[in-house]
Amino acid sequence: MKGLIFDIKELAVHDGPGPRTTVFFKGCPLRCRWCHNPEGLEFHPQLMVQYSRCTGCGLCRAGCDHPECKGFDRCLHACPNGLISLSGCEVDSGELAAKLLREKDFWDISGGGVTLSGGEPLSQPEFLLDLLDKLEGVHRCVETSGFASTDVFAAMCARTELVMMDLKLADPGLHKQYTGQDNALILQNLEYLRQSGHPCIIRTPLIGGVTDTEENLTAIAKLLVGIPGLQRAELLPYNPMAGAKYPQLGLEPMEFTGQKADERLLDPFIRAGVPAILA
Amino acid sequence: MTQRIETMLQNCLAYAHHVHRAPFAGAVDWQKKGLSPVLRSAHRLKALLAAEHPAELTGREILFIRTVTDVPGIFTDAEQADLKQKHFIHELGNLSNICPSYQSVMELGLDEVKNRANQRLDRCRAEQDTEGEDYLTALLMSLEAVYDLCARYRAAAQWAGNTAAADRLANVPYNPPRSFAEALQFFRILHYTCWAEGMYHVGVGRFDQYMWPYLQKDLQSGVLTQDSALELLEEFFLSFNMDSDMYPGVQQGDDGQSMMLGGRTADGKDAFNLLSSLCLTASRELKVIDPKINLRVDKDTPIERYEEGTRLTMEGLGFPQYSNDDIVIPALIEMGYAPEDAVNYTVAACWEFIIPHKGMDIDNIAGVSFSKCIDEAMHESLAKCADFDAFRAEVVKKIVTSCDEIEENVKGLYIYPSPFVSMMMDGCIDNARDVTLGCKYNNYGIHGTGVSTAADTMAAIHKLVFEEKSLTADELIAAIDANFEGYESLRQRLRTEMPKMGNDDDYVDGEAVFLLDAFADAVAGRKNERGGIFRCGTGSAMFYLQHAAETPCTADGRSHGEPFGANYAPSLYAKTGGPVSIVRSFTKPNLARACNGGPLTMEFDSTLFRSEESRSKVAQLVRYFIHSGGHQFQLNAVSAEQLHDAQLHPEQYRRLVVRIWGWSAYFVELDKAYQDHVIARRAYGL
Repeated sequence: MKGLIFDIKELAVHDGPGPRTTVFFKGCPLRCRWCHNPEGLEFHPQLMVQYSRCTGCGLCRAGCDHPECKGFDRCLHACPNGLISLSGCEVDSGELAAKLLREKDFWDISGGGVTLSGGEPLSQPEFLLDLLDKLEGVHRCVETSGFASTDVFAAMCARTELVMMDLKLADPGLHKQYTGQDNALILQNLEYLRQSGHPCIIRTPLIGGVTDTEENLTAIAKLLVGIPGLQRAELLPYNPMAGAKYPQLGLEPMEFTGQKADERLLDPFIRAGVPAILA
Repeated sequence: MTQRIETMLQNCLAYAHHVHRAPFAGAVDWQKKGLSPVLRSAHRLKALLAAEHPAELTGREILFIRTVTDVPGIFTDAEQADLKQKHFIHELGNLSNICPSYQSVMELGLDEVKNRANQRLDRCRAEQDTEGEDYLTALLMSLEAVYDLCARYRAAAQWAGNTAAADRLANVPYNPPRSFAEALQFFRILHYTCWAEGMYHVGVGRFDQYMWPYLQKDLQSGVLTQDSALELLEEFFLSFNMDSDMYPGVQQGDDGQSMMLGGRTADGKDAFNLLSSLCLTASRELKVIDPKINLRVDKDTPIERYEEGTRLTMEGLGFPQYSNDDIVIPALIEMGYAPEDAVNYTVAACWEFIIPHKGMDIDNIAGVSFSKCIDEAMHESLAKCADFDAFRAEVVKKIVTSCDEIEENVKGLYIYPSPFVSMMMDGCIDNARDVTLGCKYNNYGIHGTGVSTAADTMAAIHKLVFEEKSLTADELIAAIDANFEGYESLRQRLRTEMPKMGNDDDYVDGEAVFLLDAFADAVAGRKNERGGIFRCGTGSAMFYLQHAAETPCTADGRSHGEPFGANYAPSLYAKTGGPVSIVRSFTKPNLARACNGGPLTMEFDSTLFRSEESRSKVAQLVRYFIHSGGHQFQLNAVSAEQLHDAQLHPEQYRRLVVRIWGWSAYFVELDKAYQDHVIARRAYGL
């Protein structure tokens, strides 16, 4: 089974229990305006060019016959300064699983495992489920926006030791305004987590004036009351450095900046009796 | 940290004590009297210690600082030139880079040492052993010089009202210490005198083992609490930093004051104790570059100990450096060290494994540049090689030749005698001979530099010239000879698209396995003139710049002059799979056969250490390295942003510490080439 990924990160420390190796799936149905992995949005490979250091020599435009460069306006290999890279490569689930499983001895002694993230891993359901099956025996986490059909979501849960799902905005209108989609499917999958009791962590990125409002955090805390498998809620401070990748993809820079995270943001969760941390 | 220590620390960093310093102003008469070298050494020590004056006497428990800044050598310039003609002179010529025994001398007290020396001197006279007579006369003269300075320190401390320190100096160094504080004072006098005698890179050894009985006794009797012990220990740690600016090696900070903690006892038990833990705490609180902390671990070491180590790593000092007893002890036994000695190993100045007070090893005698071997083989033979194995065989020949040259170059070794340090080395009084003539172990160590650059180079040649056949030997050599000028796309391809060590890719990691095996084979069976063997290792020392400067550009895409990675590490520009893949790649070679010392060296972004949770995950990586058969691991917390800013505003970063190759230094005191190298290393982060 083939799938599209754009990165693998070892010793990821924020993606589940123990040291993780995180696989980033490429392509996402949401368009969060603060997205810090913009190279994970499109469902096809993309060139990333460090335009800031480009001397304009033109070698990359001179034409080539490499099969891997077909469909791009530049040659991947020609840059004398090494400024061109490809984001996104098609991988076989069996090969990827075999590569990941070489680290199993590490996870066995450290209590870590594999985390599948993105992009949106649930947007490549067959590949995702097949990969999860092939990773049986290691601790598996999936990081998801929750924007997927509940059938797919439930099938993923059945193959995953821990689900880490985002809940960015409780209000459907604001959700649509800032992510391009309303949150009906996400809330439905949250309901699935409530019913199934599947172990989960619910995460909210802290975007100044958008998700970090008292109103939003209070509403989210309320939605999380009584979810039996909930290990904790996590508030994720926003990383302003993430904006650097936008120009490399030829995109407009992001409009959001980081904001100092404050312990007081946890108050709504404390009031609701929901365990929560500032990550 | 108490207020007293904080003040002492600030004064130390402000060099407040430098006010006491002056150059040597006495008569340099030891060079002229027709004395043997060993007696000259004693005369010089006597003159130097006589010129020293007691200083920093109040508010301190542990006395002795250096006040005389420079001392002429024991030989005239002409004599030195002559010695260099006739002998192989290693580095500065002085004794260096070994670890004397503080323990045995403290257990006896210097009065008893003196007795034994006198008795042995009588025997030498009776036997007409004039060489032995010279040595023991020199030792006794050195001891008198130490006694004289100790007496002056005691009187001055008394006069200054520091009766506690004065009282201690009534007992030590003459008799065995009665308390932890006396033991620390005793150590300080011995260590101070080793430096004063001219020895450099004076190792500290397994401090938590030989000092523990003194502390344990004081804790049991209530003389000390854990808190007061820590305060005393922190003052003691600061004493290593008072004079160390007088002891520069290749750069400031390269002073070899290495301390080893943990490990196993003689009967195989876990040796980590409360003092080990207090040492980690003292280093973490003080954040100064000495002593340099090493920690011995093994497969049974609990994760909590790695977590404790990682809390120290977080401070950015590059401490602790870990070594793996499961690999190192059997490797030392295999090299011929007795099992009871191997279990007691420590490190020399950086990471070379040595046996305290038994090893007169010179474990940094030279370095083999793998890249140079490959470059020569490529130019001379690549075009003639029918297949890659044939090329590998040519590279092996060059490694052997390189070892032949080293073996030849180091013949006729002469080390300037060091009678006082010799007293602290096993057997020297009994044999009535200076340790520079030899001790129980007399092995030589050879560094193997730029392993990853070399493995990457081999893999690129294998792939392009022999497998794909997309490049001929002549084309590759033409590009290399042009330093890739006009071949920029080829260079990029070599740099970014060829297999690199650090990706858990057997294709290239296998080349490192091959090169290190070839290195081990090349030194196997060689004997030096002292009856010792040659050991090979994975350390780079300063060769990561020097050998890189001497080596033309390499087929891994490295331009001429671009440095190698520090010690045993991926090349600076290699795209790696990440920390886990690096550990997997670098534990594939048979490191027990290349165990002179030289750690896997990795940088991590300091943000990775901010939370206890993520720190514990880094600790797991260290443990994984040990479980995977790694020999030695050096990890550093860095902030690239801070390093760049420190180059621009050095005045604001006086205390910023970085790890260089086997030692840590204040960043702003380094030459820019060393600063740039730290910045160029890739840091793994969140």
